Amino acid sequence: MATGIKDRVAIIGMGCTAFGEHWDKGPEDLMVDAFAEAIADAGIERSRIEAAWVGNALDDINVGNSALPLAHALRLETIPVSRVENMCATGTEALRAAAYAVAAGAVDIALALGVEKLKDTGYGGLPLRTKGLANDLWMPYGSAPGTFAQLAGAYTARHGVDPADLKRAMAHVSWKSHQNGARNAKAHLQKPVEMDRILNAPMIADPLGLFDCCGVSDGAACAIVTTPEIARSLGRMNPVTIKAIQLSASNGWEMQYGEWDGASVRNTQVAARRAYAEAGIADPRAELSLTEVHDCFSITELVTMEDLGLSDGGRAIFDILDGRYDSEGALPCQIDGGLKCFGHPVGASGLRMAYEVYTQLQDRAGARQRGKVDLGLTHNLGGSPYNSVAAVSILGRLN
Amino acid sequence: MAVPSRCAAERHRFRPSTCLQVCSILSTSGCRTAEAVRMTERFISAVGGYLPMLRLDRAAASKALRFAGLGGRGGGRRAIAGWDEDALTLAVEAARRLGGDRPIDRFAFASTSAPFYERAHAAIALEALGWPATTRSNDVAGSRRCAVSALLDALLGNGEVVVAAGERRPARAGSPQHLAFGDGGAAARVGDAGGARLIGHASLSHDLVDMYASREMPTPYAYEERFVRETAAREVIAPTIRAACAAAGIEPSAVIHAAVHEPLGGMWRDIASLTGMTATNHAGALDAQAGDLGAAHILYAMALAFAASSPGDIVLVAGFGSGCDALVFEITGEVTGAADAVAMLGSGLVTQDYVRFLSLTGEIDLDWGVRSETEQKAQGTVLERHGRDTIGFIGGRDESGNVQFPKSRIPVRPGAAGPEAMTDVRLADCPATLVSVTADRLNYTPDPPFWFGLVQFDNGARLPMELVDADAAGFTVGDALRMRLRIKSIDRRRGFRTYFWKAAPAARPLLEN
Repeated sequence: MATGIKDRVAIIGMGCTAFGEHWDKGPEDLMVDAFAEAIADAGIERSRIEAAWVGNALDDINVGNSALPLAHALRLETIPVSRVENMCATGTEALRAAAYAVAAGAVDIALALGVEKLKDTGYGGLPLRTKGLANDLWMPYGSAPGTFAQLAGAYTARHGVDPADLKRAMAHVSWKSHQNGARNAKAHLQKPVEMDRILNAPMIADPLGLFDCCGVSDGAACAIVTTPEIARSLGRMNPVTIKAIQLSASNGWEMQYGEWDGASVRNTQVAARRAYAEAGIADPRAELSLTEVHDCFSITELVTMEDLGLSDGGRAIFDILDGRYDSEGALPCQIDGGLKCFGHPVGASGLRMAYEVYTQLQDRAGARQRGKVDLGLTHNLGGSPYNSVAAVSILGRLN
Repeated sequence: MAVPSRCAAERHRFRPSTCLQVCSILSTSGCRTAEAVRMTERFISAVGGYLPMLRLDRAAASKALRFAGLGGRGGGRRAIAGWDEDALTLAVEAARRLGGDRPIDRFAFASTSAPFYERAHAAIALEALGWPATTRSNDVAGSRRCAVSALLDALLGNGEVVVAAGERRPARAGSPQHLAFGDGGAAARVGDAGGARLIGHASLSHDLVDMYASREMPTPYAYEERFVRETAAREVIAPTIRAACAAAGIEPSAVIHAAVHEPLGGMWRDIASLTGMTATNHAGALDAQAGDLGAAHILYAMALAFAASSPGDIVLVAGFGSGCDALVFEITGEVTGAADAVAMLGSGLVTQDYVRFLSLTGEIDLDWGVRSETEQKAQGTVLERHGRDTIGFIGGRDESGNVQFPKSRIPVRPGAAGPEAMTDVRLADCPATLVSVTADRLNYTPDPPFWFGLVQFDNGARLPMELVDADAAGFTVGDALRMRLRIKSIDRRRGFRTYFWKAAPAARPLLEN
């Protein structure tokens, strides 16, 4: 019976570039920058890295396919390097691969790096056709805001809430993240935004206005993982460890089988349930210190708080409006500014979230430090609510 | 074949070349006994009319063109196809409205604006309609008359035959045709029983070039209107009508309702005067409310005429274009679908947005930016494997009874463990409701916003779909839906298009007159 990887993998170094419009840098520059911070943080020789995984989601328009761009950029010496891609969960997928390799005992030290360079092409989060699959003959290729916006109408229908209340709660989600992002030098957007401006912004996909949507961005984030024993040997007596990493992907049930009502994301629920079990968390509301969730859109964050079991069904609106998830609230969410302020370089986002939790666990978050942090959760959601891949990871201290 | 002793050419001042043709017609009808028996066995049993949802208020266009002195007087409305509608989809929607479940023997698709030069639309239409691939099918084209000619062929032939016409004719902005034309489809079903019996007919071929379109001139080039008005009525339409009435053994004044193509607006007065008819021409009303539907026009107007008729009435149908075909019917009962065509004409949404009209008709090429740079190439191999299921909207029922789209080797049903055989289930005619929805204003579409959502069919199937024909209120969760055949993608680089079904509101708003 598998017992999971709780405390079998330690993170000994992380790095993260500033996210934004890196007109002066290519993806190789971003990879080098993130790696340089991580290897310095780990305090090891680069030759000790035995395997690496690079995540980027949109290979045709930025980094390029295969793992060779990482091997070239970092001049990795003939170690096994693989590219992983799982839509918006790509960054977490890279971390999962590296962590599993260490937990399996296949390697002692592994590298996970996520990178995406989207601004060069003017890519705006729009769908790309697959150039020949049967799906092209029938599937609607809506934009990312369009697919997630559909949560709102279905949520309203399920819970009977006033759409105006939902809109106000969504606005609060964005307002909160902008408040937090203003304290983060690595965020793409670092300015608070007034609530009225959020509420009255141009519509992108009903009912999502401009400020309900995260943008695209350039960025990279990196983690170096090893066993707790090796971490101790390196002087990390109470290292940050991975308590859980779980992934759940649609098999077509939501969009082809008539039971789901569109007001939640099943894969988030499943991944969270598994992650809590793997981490030994009985009451996430009481045990988690903070969360970094996939706030690609404000409605996504709102629904995710229920899917993670942190708000009761139909109550996330009120928890959000009450400030429960604000930086000073009971359970901060997006204390670093989230996708809303970092933008979404798809392959990097999952590792960017882990970077924030890792930093908070070590009490190194400066102005946005959330006191004592014991357990932090990250969540990615790729695809669309009806055809998704969700990843939930939980980080903490070994002891 | 005997030539009648009293040639109509003298009476009607036919040119010799046309005299022979019309005389031949008369000679055919001259074998009165044998011919009459055969004719009374053939009927139109059903008609279907389909119009896209939008109507342009011609007055709004005239106002926009006032600076140039163009746009005419600007009365009435014309139907405008959505960006994802073409002659094929409009014809298929019209054919769907024929109803009935009897198999057909032959199918003809008629249009002067069909998108492909080499790829038979009739074959695509058969798949979209869910009719057997063994049905004989062909495309007819070449003139606005082609649908009526095909209808006459069906009536003179045997078996169950459907003729479906669709038009989305291009025209230059500012030209009279741009406002006079309309987009739409019409269809008729012919067989050995029905509510409209053919009792006489006549045909005339005449290369009268009142207007033409060519590969070199894809939009219509129109000649002098007074020439057309006089020549078309006097030399082509009126004599053919007279011949058809003679073949039917009636006087033109006995015609109660007419569906006669007028090459130019207001010509019915001339034609009626030349023939002695006093009937209402429903083609004129169709012109005013939806525009000239080209090859589909007379089939649609015929449906309107049938709807207005009572048993015993005589209905005249005449198509014009490189000649004329005139058909005389006796109404013997109800023609299925006629009332529906009237209702279709009275529903839709009026737009005053001339720029949107220009964009939808391809007369301005808006710069939609980077977001429109999507690759749209469809592969022939994929179409061969999946095209019939997508164009026919064929899902699969698994061994436990669950219906899904698309089909898959292992069913989506929870607990399904291995490959199962699936039986075909057509979803095109299945009612559905909306589970989730949005109006996407970021994604590229030629007519924003891009509505899409998750659609739940009453038979259990569900899938994400594009939504079309939104009114001002748009869509909300729980809305009742019906399926429409539409263009799925247009590969502009390679000149190819694919088709799939999109969900539309179950009911359209009524037009205010």
